[in-house]
Amino acid sequence: MRVPLSWLREFAPVEADPEALAELLTSRGLKVEGIDRPWAGLDGVIVARVIEKRPHPDSDRLTLARLETGGGEGHVAAGVANWQVGDLVPYAPPGSRVPLLPEPLGVRTLRGERSEGMICSPKELAISGDHGGILILPEGLAPGAQVKDALGLDEVVFDVEIKANRADLLSIVGVAREAAAVAGVPLRRPDTTVAEGDESAAKAATVEILDLERCPRYLARVIAGVTVAASPLRVQARLTAAGMRPLSNVVDATNYVMLEMGQPLHAFDMDRLAGSGIVVRRAEDGERLVTLDEQERLLTATDLVIADLEKGVAIAGIMGSAIAEVGDATASVLLEAAHFDRRSVIRTSRRLDLRTEASARFERGVDPEGVTPAAARAAALIQAWSGGTVLAGSAEAGAVPERRRLVVRPARASLILGQPVSTSEIVESLGRIEIPTTVSAADSVEGIDVEVPGFRVDIDREIDVIEEVIRVLGYDRVGATTPAVRQAGGAPATYERRRAIRRALGAAGFREIESYSFASSRDLELMGEREEAAVRVRNPLLADEPFLRTSLIPGLLGALRLNASRQIRGAALFEVGHTFTAGSGEDGPSERESAAAALFGRFGAAIHERTEVDVFDAKGAVDALLDAFGIRDWEILDTDQPLPFHPGRAGAIAVGGRRIGRFGELHPGVGAAFDLPGRVAALEVDVESLAAATGPERVYRDVPRFPPVRRDLAFVVDTGVPVGAMSAVIREAAGGLAGSIDLFDLYEGEPLPAGKRNVAFSVEFRAERSLTNDEVTVAVEAIAAAVRDRLGGELRSS
Amino acid sequence: MAPLDRATALRILQEQEDDGRAALSEAPSLEELEDVERTVLGRRSPFAEVQRSLGDLGPDDRREVGRRANDARRALEAAAQQRRRALEAVREVALLEADRVDLTLPGRRARPGSVHPLSAVLDEIVEVFTRMGYRVVEGPEIETEYYNFDALNIPADHPARKVTDSLYLDVPGRPDLLLRTETSAMQIRTMERQKPPVHVIAPGRVYRHDTIDATHSPVFHQVEGLAVDEGITFADLKGTLLEFARAMFGPDQRVRLNPDFFPFVEPGAEAEVSCFLCGGAGCRTCKGTGWIELLGSGMVHPNVLENVGYDPERYTGFAFGIGIERVAMLRYGIPDLRLFYEGDVRFLEQFGAAG
Repeated sequence: MRVPLSWLREFAPVEADPEALAELLTSRGLKVEGIDRPWAGLDGVIVARVIEKRPHPDSDRLTLARLETGGGEGHVAAGVANWQVGDLVPYAPPGSRVPLLPEPLGVRTLRGERSEGMICSPKELAISGDHGGILILPEGLAPGAQVKDALGLDEVVFDVEIKANRADLLSIVGVAREAAAVAGVPLRRPDTTVAEGDESAAKAATVEILDLERCPRYLARVIAGVTVAASPLRVQARLTAAGMRPLSNVVDATNYVMLEMGQPLHAFDMDRLAGSGIVVRRAEDGERLVTLDEQERLLTATDLVIADLEKGVAIAGIMGSAIAEVGDATASVLLEAAHFDRRSVIRTSRRLDLRTEASARFERGVDPEGVTPAAARAAALIQAWSGGTVLAGSAEAGAVPERRRLVVRPARASLILGQPVSTSEIVESLGRIEIPTTVSAADSVEGIDVEVPGFRVDIDREIDVIEEVIRVLGYDRVGATTPAVRQAGGAPATYERRRAIRRALGAAGFREIESYSFASSRDLELMGEREEAAVRVRNPLLADEPFLRTSLIPGLLGALRLNASRQIRGAALFEVGHTFTAGSGEDGPSERESAAAALFGRFGAAIHERTEVDVFDAKGAVDALLDAFGIRDWEILDTDQPLPFHPGRAGAIAVGGRRIGRFGELHPGVGAAFDLPGRVAALEVDVESLAAATGPERVYRDVPRFPPVRRDLAFVVDTGVPVGAMSAVIREAAGGLAGSIDLFDLYEGEPLPAGKRNVAFSVEFRAERSLTNDEVTVAVEAIAAAVRDRLGGELRSS
Repeated sequence: MAPLDRATALRILQEQEDDGRAALSEAPSLEELEDVERTVLGRRSPFAEVQRSLGDLGPDDRREVGRRANDARRALEAAAQQRRRALEAVREVALLEADRVDLTLPGRRARPGSVHPLSAVLDEIVEVFTRMGYRVVEGPEIETEYYNFDALNIPADHPARKVTDSLYLDVPGRPDLLLRTETSAMQIRTMERQKPPVHVIAPGRVYRHDTIDATHSPVFHQVEGLAVDEGITFADLKGTLLEFARAMFGPDQRVRLNPDFFPFVEPGAEAEVSCFLCGGAGCRTCKGTGWIELLGSGMVHPNVLENVGYDPERYTGFAFGIGIERVAMLRYGIPDLRLFYEGDVRFLEQFGAAG
């Protein structure tokens, strides 16, 4: 809401400078988000009288003017010629500044004629958007006077953020009420006296409401014999400062009063209404109406229209129709001031996607008591600005609703606010914002009767009144205490396990990211996911990301891609977050917490460089992650569904036979889809399953005291025999004597035959005593036999 | 060879000791020291000759010369040992010198990881409130309109419920499902589950139908706080927020409440903290006001308490919602919300190591 301060001060004569007033209003919940001085760029422009007008000798387009400037003369060339000798015009001499131009004016030579500065259009002075000609100033101004002073352009405008519940603040008077309350000055009211003619409005027009629920009240005034023209310059400037476009004296009067008092108004050209009768009714299904913005609107039976005796002429509370629009030829005006149900306006405005200054106000709730005074004020202004006669009285239907009554208990207010609030403080502070009270009983427990004025549509419970009291008293009156909390604080397992995952993957060299929770069709395809299995968003932010993520991996790959595109050699990232699946039937969608990591490229100093990432980086990360949950033994099962992984370089992570996630290298096509060079490794674990697989509490075991005996055992086996199977057989065959079994060599090729490889382990034998050579030799023989019998491998050396 | 006499023996020993000492102490290398030792003390040395020939002497002379020979031998052996140590020390220095490296080469370090700044800030916030006795509660990101709006006193025609503001799900038969727009939804779930007193915080991810720019994101994070008990006051809210601000931003912080509007609280308040960059004098960060907007808060609306079956005459409470991104941006001076969601490692590495 843009609030020109001169306008505000008409009703709240506060002395404070703009910055101090802004702070005061902000502290009362009217946050002043900006202080604008629209004419700060206007300096040195003066009133001048045209004393000579002649065509430019060398240009058809330019006209030369000689100006009298109150003691001096000026000579300018102008591109328009709507001015005459004797007119007063705004003259910007060399060195002066206008809001529209960044630089001060200078002297130019236009086709050989000297032009000192310029004469200005309304737009150049930021008075209105009109750039069609030079602004002709009203008679009575003195040549040489500053235009800024003469037209009241020394304006300061507050940009006030209005909270959704405070409909009353969408008006200058509403903001002035708060300013007056906080500054302790009396609130003045707009002048609503009208000089009326003899003829009766009720005879000239009729009003009928067919839906009193959606339109509880409708009032029409009639102004006859108007002359439609531009509004006075001060009015134009003020409307412009408040953010509205000046149009004509009649329309400007309706907008002016709406801005001032918060009551939307509409002016119809009475001669274009069929039968001078207004009917407020529901639209017919399929009824069409061309609104002022020249759009044809298709209406339904839930919309409320204003009609004459034949046709719809406005969509109630939103916008008028072109058909009955006030124009230059208008002679008689039917002025509408009405109250419309907010829900009705919201429904129609949203359906038509049509929002106006009027609908914005009705949506929040307009003061039902404001209809009569606003109509009077606007009628008086139309008469003042466009001439004519205001007909006596009004044609109207409906009634002003009763005020709500509430009780506020001082004891309750004190309890909520944590500090004593007296009856007199309550009465006084509510009185300052024009909320009348009656103290019926001296007993403060009984409470104070509160009458809620029509403009406060937001107040409907005692707590709302209590808020008003402390708001007027000032929130800074509230002390600072802390409540007694009689419980130990803490976080649940779901929170702590997430922290454990972050610690483990962070310690394993991964950096945590947060990515958006949305997914594209392509993401699902790459993850091997069906679209039906994903949750769809009805109104997605991006059309190509209509799903919720089913996996964290695409988000991680997106982040890897960003790093790769920024010439980062390698990145290792992880995320912990929710993933979503559609679920089936009654269950509806489900969400699960997931932890995933992905990495690509090379790391560390090049001089110490290791090879690029592969599946074993992912496997090591799985080890680290599971270890943090006390899980030392896990196994690799085949994945049910290979994508997004490489079919030969990935597996399912299983603990105690239960699958809890997957790890591996990604399918090369997936990496390529994310523009990632080289191999990409990743893992993803279901957090709930991981937590459920948590190993037993750790218990101390003695550190081995006897030195181990180490033997290197090299086998030749078929290349298809997994190393994991061999070490499992070795451990079993060693009969409890095997400690660590370290793979230290894998070799294929000459002189080994094709299909064979050499697999060499360094095996540690240990027991809780010194082992003899013979014992170890027996164990090695048992191992050799087992590997031969079960895996077809031959011990080559030991 | 003539039989040895006492005087000759003593002279030889003296000569050998003097010459040997000199030779040993001047041996230029360990290898040559060994040669000198052999020459001076070896089987063929004059020294050994004397000791072998002791039998030629009478008993008294033999004892005297023998003792003298032993003394001289020990002295020479000591000299050799001393020289050996010196030469070994020199050789070690040379070997170590040869092993010298360029210490400015990069270190070999385990690949460093890190937690996201939002996680780090959240952990800090949680720490502050759990110390005050609050319990953390968590809930789903897919919410129903009931928990996200209706029960929070947000009417059906409220602008926040529009499809231009909230993200609704396309689930057959469930038009009421949406991605939660604020963690306040957890207020209702928590109060439905337990009787007062309630002192909880609810952190989590929330969603809005907002286009991504420097200050807007369709995804962001909040921590909701809720305290409901007998006798909880507006002053308690202010004091609690003051304690939070001091724990997060320093012990000199001040807190200011301005009236604000959220349907689920009344009175509603926006909390501002004194600007920690300029100390309240006014700067660019606080737009010259000396105050920085921190969060929205207020007293729990009686309609909300009634919706969960609490008696609003008996119980009162306060609630607040902290934007984690906002706190992190203020805390670290991060200018653009998008940085949190890009995953650029050069951003991530600026924040805490995993811990």
